[in-house]
Amino acid sequence: MAIKINGHIKQKLYNPVLQMNFKHKYFFLFPGLFVLIGILIFPIIFVVRLSLSGWNSYNPGLDFIGLENYIRLFTDDPRFWESFFRLSFLSVTTVILQYVIGFALAHMVWKDIKFKRFFRVLFLIPMMTTPVIMTVIWRTFFHESLGPVNDILSNFGVSPKWLTDPVIAKFTVIIVEVWQWTPFMFLLLLAGLLSLPKEPFLAAAIDGASPVRKFIYVTFPLMAPISIGAIIIRLIEASKIMDTVYVLTSGGPGTSTETSSFYIFIKGLREFQMGYAASMSFTYLIIMIISLTIIAKVLTKLLLKE
Amino acid sequence: MDLVAKNLSYKPTDQYHLNDVSFNFKNGNLYTILGRTLSGKTTLLKTIAGLLTPDSGEIDFDGKDFLKTPVWERNVAMVYQQFINYPHLNVFENVAFPLKQRKMETNVINEKVTDALKSVGLSGYENRKIQELSGGQQQRVSLARSLVKNAKILLLDEPLVNLDYKLREQLREEFKNLFSKGLSDETILIYSTTDPRETMELNGEVIVLDEGKVLQVGPAKEIFENPNSLKVAEISNDPPMNIIDAEILESEVSFEGISISAPKHFNNINNKSFKIGLRSSDIILNEKGYEFEVELAEISGSETLLHLKKGNTKLIMSIEEVMNFKIHDKVKINFKIEKAYAFNSNGDLASSPFRSKNG
Amino acid sequence: MNKLYIFLKYFFIVFWTIFVVAPFLWALTTSFKDFQSVNAGVTYIPWVDFEPNLEGWKVLIKSPAKGGVDIVEPYFNSLFVTCTASLISIILGTLSAYALSRYTFKAGFVKNNDITFFFISQRIMPPIVLSIPFFLFLSSIDLLDSLSGLIVVYIVLLMPIAVWIMVDFFNKVPKEIDETALIDGCNPYQAFLKVVLPNSIPGLIVAGMFCIIFGWIDFFFAFILTFTEVQLLPVKIVALNSSVTPWWSLSASALVSVAPLIIVAFIVERYLSKGNLSGAIK
Repeated sequence: MAIKINGHIKQKLYNPVLQMNFKHKYFFLFPGLFVLIGILIFPIIFVVRLSLSGWNSYNPGLDFIGLENYIRLFTDDPRFWESFFRLSFLSVTTVILQYVIGFALAHMVWKDIKFKRFFRVLFLIPMMTTPVIMTVIWRTFFHESLGPVNDILSNFGVSPKWLTDPVIAKFTVIIVEVWQWTPFMFLLLLAGLLSLPKEPFLAAAIDGASPVRKFIYVTFPLMAPISIGAIIIRLIEASKIMDTVYVLTSGGPGTSTETSSFYIFIKGLREFQMGYAASMSFTYLIIMIISLTIIAKVLTKLLLKE
Repeated sequence: MDLVAKNLSYKPTDQYHLNDVSFNFKNGNLYTILGRTLSGKTTLLKTIAGLLTPDSGEIDFDGKDFLKTPVWERNVAMVYQQFINYPHLNVFENVAFPLKQRKMETNVINEKVTDALKSVGLSGYENRKIQELSGGQQQRVSLARSLVKNAKILLLDEPLVNLDYKLREQLREEFKNLFSKGLSDETILIYSTTDPRETMELNGEVIVLDEGKVLQVGPAKEIFENPNSLKVAEISNDPPMNIIDAEILESEVSFEGISISAPKHFNNINNKSFKIGLRSSDIILNEKGYEFEVELAEISGSETLLHLKKGNTKLIMSIEEVMNFKIHDKVKINFKIEKAYAFNSNGDLASSPFRSKNG
Repeated sequence: MNKLYIFLKYFFIVFWTIFVVAPFLWALTTSFKDFQSVNAGVTYIPWVDFEPNLEGWKVLIKSPAKGGVDIVEPYFNSLFVTCTASLISIILGTLSAYALSRYTFKAGFVKNNDITFFFISQRIMPPIVLSIPFFLFLSSIDLLDSLSGLIVVYIVLLMPIAVWIMVDFFNKVPKEIDETALIDGCNPYQAFLKVVLPNSIPGLIVAGMFCIIFGWIDFFFAFILTFTEVQLLPVKIVALNSSVTPWWSLSASALVSVAPLIIVAFIVERYLSKGNLSGAIK
């Protein structure tokens, strides 16, 4: 079976030794693989080539300027690196919040509770909505003078500038993201909880463990592999935050909610500095692949080491 | 239609799963592959089935090169130790699957499936879902599916190991009946197991396998009576054969301060020091015997296994009744030395009570 | 202590429920408002705070010529693109996933896990990286602002999901079943179709759902790669946002757009309760 509980939690890896080996395997693998590579290969090569050119609105066309774009990126563009840190801040914060809240919700509707199935459906709903469309609604919701949030809060004397204050705007984005994607975590974690074996819990009950102890010593460790998988998946998705920012704040006020994607979008498809935008894209891609791979491997190693 | 293999080797990692294995299986015979876990039994069976390709060697069936025939064209059948059936089909459809694959006519299929289910005792279960069946019943369905296609080679990979004790005994009986009369003379039956007792009961031609190597081939009785090495003696006895370092001097066998007259069949032993092999059933309680101390007393079914110790020597003896012994108890035992084996220091058989090495 | 815990639990659930439902309720009331009710001050309950008005909803039915908002065509465009791309992704992705689950590949130092990783890592690709070259590329082969162009792009988005879910699912189907099918006379293709696939229906459904969800909600690629000929739903709604569309029609359109996927929530919950989703988790 997949998970053994010996005080350690291990995943039994599939033994490749007794695996079959027929020529047919290529037919299975290649269609998908080649289609994917086929669709990807031109754009990627093109991005690289584009990044070595100075294509912009005054000067369209694939000239060759070598690494000029990259040099500019690394030495003369603090805005790019700021957007990067903003992105990291936003994605890590939302993922952590989504994990904690998602886990709490999943745990609460896991066992028997009144209207269990109703709550499960309800908590899933935000994820099933189109984020952009909901954000359109959020814009009216958080509207500083005409929206309900400030209307209610004004009774307490506070009237935060949800969309126009540089610091608060970040939190508005976080709130919207948490609303939208916590269900995803909730779903993965609830499915995980439902698949846990009963024996450790029976043992804990016999030992008279309190709910808190049960959680810390049984539930949470057993959920470790699933938690890590869910966090990695969600982190990958969260690193692409774009829709919310575009609709809610357009990166603003100023650049306070501008993420890397948004900045590249502005440079490439608004200001039409295609060459430079391509170099940003490529750098961004490489950084994301490396960092997310490292994070995934570190987290997985952490899990297997326990 | 013989199944002949020559020098099969398979080394997927840095260990041999099959190491120069050769055999010659003939129609209408039952062959038992005896070996411990990870000795290569499953690998061998899968290679015969065609699921694995050996790195080197040949297999011929009926004169044709088997290696050129893919699995789905070989006429084999296999029963696994984990009860494998198609979960999405019911019992009837499960057994009918290979026949449908061969595009047989429906009434022929119905007839054969009904017969097969009858022979495994599952008549009337046709419409049941696999998940509703018990372990024993599922294994019977697997067996029925293997029988229904009249395969020329029937492979069974420790088919009873996941069943409880009583069921195992019962099914083993049914298997023997099936094998002796149910199968045609055209079939080669290959049955793998780790259990020496099962091997004896099946009473077929035994191939002893260890670490991918064939250690000994012969009828079950021969393997039991004359294991050709320490390893084979280990594998073919449960509880394991006791191995004692001993010396022989002037017709006296001595070990651990005990001196016994050497049995006749030890006459041929040339070396002064060698190893004695003694089955746990060949040690008996005797008031006038040698004193040993009890290290552990196991009660297994209706017999007692005593783990004994004296000095540097440890033994296991089996007693055919349930007796109460406590750790550190002292018992007096004697040895049926005429049933003892002698092994050289390199592990080969030097002398056996059933037949002396030289003649 | 126990009572406190239970109180907190229910408090949290109520709080989160309100949080989940809030935007929907707000959009609902807003859709019935008119100029006064929106701009004079914040209003909530119809008939109590303001006079309800069906203008927001009527606009959905009126044709664009008379000032209406046409969301029917974008609806169908979204549906078509999402379903087609999902179908292709699932078919190709499942085949590849099967190969990765059952067979060993080795090309130099590239092995199974690397290939699987390659598939799944496409999700890391930020849309912006692909959008610029796709923009130029599709325009060069005249597939810009077209349904097929979008479908091609969506395949890159969705196939990794199909592969991720199906590899895990297949790994949980015992290989011995494939082997038995082979022994029973099936070649590998038949073994896959007749035996493995029927036992993977839950996985296919989960993969299908996730593909449809992630395809339906895409905004960015549709935004960049389509203009007037083809409009997808998310783009349409956002376009309403930036023009002078009044809040009421905006809210009505938004509500109508998100309603359908809520059905998916019910389907997902059913599978969850039946324990079939646990296979999708790695």
